Amino acid sequence: MPTLYEAPTTKPEKKPIKAHSHTKMTPLTAFAVNPYGVRFETQEADEQVILFLRQHLIVNVPWIALTILFLLAPSILFPLILQSLPAPLPFGYVLVGTLSWYLVTAGFALFNFLHWFFNIYIVTNERVIDIDFQYLLFKRFSQAELERIQDISYTAGGIFATIFHYGNVYIQTAGALPNLEFLAVPRPDKVVEKIRNFMENLPGAI
Amino acid sequence: MTPPIMTIVLTTLKVFTLVGLGLYGVFAAIMIRQEQLMAAVLEEGFEPILRLLTILHFAAAVSLLIFAIIIL
Repeated sequence: MPTLYEAPTTKPEKKPIKAHSHTKMTPLTAFAVNPYGVRFETQEADEQVILFLRQHLIVNVPWIALTILFLLAPSILFPLILQSLPAPLPFGYVLVGTLSWYLVTAGFALFNFLHWFFNIYIVTNERVIDIDFQYLLFKRFSQAELERIQDISYTAGGIFATIFHYGNVYIQTAGALPNLEFLAVPRPDKVVEKIRNFMENLPGAI
Repeated sequence: MTPPIMTIVLTTLKVFTLVGLGLYGVFAAIMIRQEQLMAAVLEEGFEPILRLLTILHFAAAVSLLIFAIIIL
């Protein structure tokens, strides 16, 4: 009897699953895809961090330059001030003044670093989050569900932004929800592309 | 008897220095608290080092205040 149907012996080919490469976090990481070891306050058990962003490292240059100037100032400025005084200042005052200057400089650098370090933008498989360390004892936690995002765009203008490849990402949300802005983030085109891809793969997305 | 002008100037400078360092100590303490709050928001590996830096900064501010009280 002729064989009418022969069952295939080989299994149908599965679509290759794209391996998720994890990015190792360092204190200066400003752009990380699938970062290792990052958790945030309201993260749910099944929620995964897909993108972790900070402002581009280049935004720190002004305060680093000022810190260097402040560190060099006592050796140049203080002798000039002391010479211009009508009477000599006791050594104790000079010592306390110099130490105070270095302490305040250290505080200035630390505060600016904390400000940069804790201003973060996170994209998870469920939402987009903007955490701001605005000034002392004031933090802002803004978020938008991925399905609530209506439009996403970016701008990258100026000499530094073009050279160092950073820009602003604007996320418009539906209804009365606040819009989110990712300011001076590295590779804004990639950020937009990543978020768009996730929005397209959401259940119910057209 | 009026004190010499230099004594008035130095006393004023001393008061301003001590008040300034006291206020700076408060600022340093607030920075520690802020770091704790933000570390609770974001868990990452670098927080212990940042906490240590803020504590060292606070310790330096308090030490300098005490040193200024003694020396000035």
